[in-house]
Amino acid sequence: MAEMTMTSSPDRVNLRPLSPATRLARALAPWARRLILWAFAIWCLFPIYWLATMSLKRQVDAMARTPRFWFQPIWDNYLAVIKAGDIWNYFGSSLIVALATTAVALALGIPTAYVLARYRFRGNSDFGFWILSTRMTPPVAMLIPFFVLYVRTGLMDTYPGLVIAHVAINLSIVVWLMKGFFEDLPSELEEAAFMDGATYFQAFRQICLPVALPGIAAVAILSFLFSWNEFLFSLVLTNEIRTVPVGLYSFVGYQQVRWGELSASAVLMLVPVLAFVFIFQKQLVRGLTMGATK
Amino acid sequence: MRSSAARSRNRFILLMLAPATVLLAGLTLIPFVVSVGFSLTNYSLTAPNDIAFIGLGNYLALFSSSEFWNAAWITVLFTVVAVGLQLVLGVGIAALLHHETRAVSALRLIYLLPMAITPVAAVFTFRMMFNPTLGVFNYILKTMGLPAQDWLGSPTMALVSLILVDSWQWTPFILLIAAGGLAALDEEPLEAARMDGAGPMAIFFQHTLPMLFPYLAVAIVFRSIDAFKTFDIIFVLTNGGPGVATRTLNLLAYKQGIEFLSMGYAAAIAIVMLIVTIVASQLFLRRVDLFKPKAAL
Repeated sequence: MAEMTMTSSPDRVNLRPLSPATRLARALAPWARRLILWAFAIWCLFPIYWLATMSLKRQVDAMARTPRFWFQPIWDNYLAVIKAGDIWNYFGSSLIVALATTAVALALGIPTAYVLARYRFRGNSDFGFWILSTRMTPPVAMLIPFFVLYVRTGLMDTYPGLVIAHVAINLSIVVWLMKGFFEDLPSELEEAAFMDGATYFQAFRQICLPVALPGIAAVAILSFLFSWNEFLFSLVLTNEIRTVPVGLYSFVGYQQVRWGELSASAVLMLVPVLAFVFIFQKQLVRGLTMGATK
Repeated sequence: MRSSAARSRNRFILLMLAPATVLLAGLTLIPFVVSVGFSLTNYSLTAPNDIAFIGLGNYLALFSSSEFWNAAWITVLFTVVAVGLQLVLGVGIAALLHHETRAVSALRLIYLLPMAITPVAAVFTFRMMFNPTLGVFNYILKTMGLPAQDWLGSPTMALVSLILVDSWQWTPFILLIAAGGLAALDEEPLEAARMDGAGPMAIFFQHTLPMLFPYLAVAIVFRSIDAFKTFDIIFVLTNGGPGVATRTLNLLAYKQGIEFLSMGYAAAIAIVMLIVTIVASQLFLRRVDLFKPKAAL
């Protein structure tokens, strides 16, 4: 163990004397690195911070010619938004759509993902590619037939209509990510089950599914998040049923200048998202990077 | 002769695949076929019963219209510049993060936020910050002694602003994939190069980057495809404007289809986009070994 640390430490390996400039550079390097990393972190955080401050500003502070970093925070914007009540409808719609989408996408996607991950059969990788390619389809290519169909059949502006569209978007991601989780399980799991006389379905249902539960939870959260954030299909396929992003967009259209109330609405809409990020950070990283990191 | 064991195995595979396959086929293949069909007609929802087959008429009209080529150019420009910027920034910061020891988990959590939060909410915030007179960006520029910008009002700046917002949202995507790749990297060749006296820059470009390539290839493909079809950011921030300066193919198809109700013409644009996406992703993703099943039951 001691030997390991000796050889992996560059300073000990390099026995040539260091010039003062090199020494200074080495001493400063960690601080330069930290500076860049935190500068990028501030850039990532700044819009969220700015949105939060706007939601706590009086109109005069929000519309000040010189943006005010120090101001008297108020809750009036939040109270106004909550009292107006539209936001509860948006929350309700989004919740219904996101939960239903997640349930359907998981129920359909998990069995497919399992077989793709665990069984070798002809066309397996072509099938996997096809599933993923549906995720790459430009949304307008799907949107136009959906729009025509919905206008003609009365699915327009209904919950089932929007859920069907969201399942179509999310299913490929659910299959793809669950496939990754199933691939991580040791193949001895099923082999042992088959020895004990389990059928294929029993091996899946009773052995693999329980073990894959953390993965299923992660994918469920992600599917929920994608549905919650989805804008284009929700915008086009609904009128009265407004999901959270569409509701916010309609605010932007009507109330161009009331930044305070708009910001308060946006912050409220972000609350579930931020809660997910803080609680399920690790699972989200894997999901948001499409399984490229494990 | 097939044994009954093989038959029951195949039946199991089929049953497990069927539900999602039927639904995905129904929800993506059928719309695709319908779109192709629409694109060969003059179908418009303003006169839904007056539908006629016009062959490749929409495509010919498309390829001879300047608005199509303008939109195609802007789409390519936006995609290439945005993904290029995100790649350089993302990989650079991932490399720094890889050597960082303090507060790494806090940094990772912060980097995760832009791509997790509701895009419409984020874009709305940028709209406030881009405001030429009241926005915080121009205030910051002015305090630094730099000239104020008409962020969304001038054609060039509008595209720059969109790339800025897209990069704010998606640089973390490439960063996290690159960081995952770095963590999984075999350190031995790097150590050997270091022993041979190679400098950190030489090691990074000659050893680390090539080893990281499979991860970056995936990141680039996913990101390019997504950038190619970006909607939320452009729609909420500029809606294709000023004029047509930021009108991408996606926005053009939306305008033609959902606003003008010319389904045939809009479908033709969507099909062109789809073909470009499929060809590009086939070319790149096939080379990356993503599709081999790992276990063999």
